[in-house]
Amino acid sequence: MQLILDPDMICCVTGEPTLTKLDDIEALDRVYRSRLLRFVAYSTGDQDLAETIVQDCLLKAYNARDSFRGDCAVYTWLAHIATNLMRDRQRTRKFQFWRRVQKTAPDLSELSSLLPSGESSPESQILAREQAQQVSVALESLSTNQRTIFLMRFIEEMELQEICQATGMQISTVKTHLHRAVKAVRLKLGGRI
Amino acid sequence: MENRLEYQQSHLTHLTDAQFTDLLLGANPAAVRAHLEGCPQCSDEADRVSRAIGSFEQQSRLWGERRAASRPLLATQPQLVFPWLHRPQAWTAAALAIALAVGIGVTVRNDHPRAVQLQAKVQPAPAVSPATLKADNELLSAIDGELRADESTPATMYGLTVTSRGVRTRAPKRISN
Repeated sequence: MQLILDPDMICCVTGEPTLTKLDDIEALDRVYRSRLLRFVAYSTGDQDLAETIVQDCLLKAYNARDSFRGDCAVYTWLAHIATNLMRDRQRTRKFQFWRRVQKTAPDLSELSSLLPSGESSPESQILAREQAQQVSVALESLSTNQRTIFLMRFIEEMELQEICQATGMQISTVKTHLHRAVKAVRLKLGGRI
Repeated sequence: MENRLEYQQSHLTHLTDAQFTDLLLGANPAAVRAHLEGCPQCSDEADRVSRAIGSFEQQSRLWGERRAASRPLLATQPQLVFPWLHRPQAWTAAALAIALAVGIGVTVRNDHPRAVQLQAKVQPAPAVSPATLKADNELLSAIDGELRADESTPATMYGLTVTSRGVRTRAPKRISN
């Protein structure tokens, strides 16, 4: 049996700062790129833009690694940097124009062949894909803040306190956005509100 | 009595938005738990939303992993033993230094004692004595006289004489020190 250790867990156990991990940009990239990519791609709704933002985020984190004090998890810190980069991009008119013109949202349907097929039947796989697609569509109808916070909580599984640190919002604001986001997703999934 | 009222309320009305969100967030108070046990609608909906979010999480994770794997990893440049050797400015500076060194070398070489010795070997012509000069001048005058006497024109062929009017005779160049 292979034991896979999460670097974050090791840090929690030892209590040591994660500066060694931050010193190695390759390790930083390997551990966090896919998570950041998913988060940014679904937050912005643009996978090409997400590539650019994640690249900037990792380089920015690497260059500013000395300023990381270890007060929060590395991913929370990275999510904070990524959120700021997304805000900067979304503020510009140029970004808004190009987003309308050539938006390339992540397409979950292309992943049908990658879904694990060990236990579930083809029918349940199709159902799961449809449900995921509905959530994806529901996310597009949310405001940027609602979408970001929903993703942080339910997809990245961050605690509310960590979301506050990453977004710089009050916990009451975070909860409000979260409630509205859940309501919209429930509505899309055919729930009675 | 109070418990019964609470039970009736929990079954007459469904979960509120806040309760539903808290349920998804993991909070599961006794009242909500009791309601879910007796309300298949809320229970089904909670299950459906929870599964949908789970499916989305799973598929988006696969998407992120696949997308990240298709890109090369960021890497720092390897540490060089002599990093300055890999800068174009270093090569430019080196070329300038070599050119400067060669220039200075040539200049110094010209001021070298050996060069002075070579220059010293080139002696000026020895001074000519006045007697020799006088003899040379007399020789030149004699030659000039003979040439002048030998001058003949077409007029002399016919026995005519030509005066030297208008003809400027030039004294022979005298040699001096």
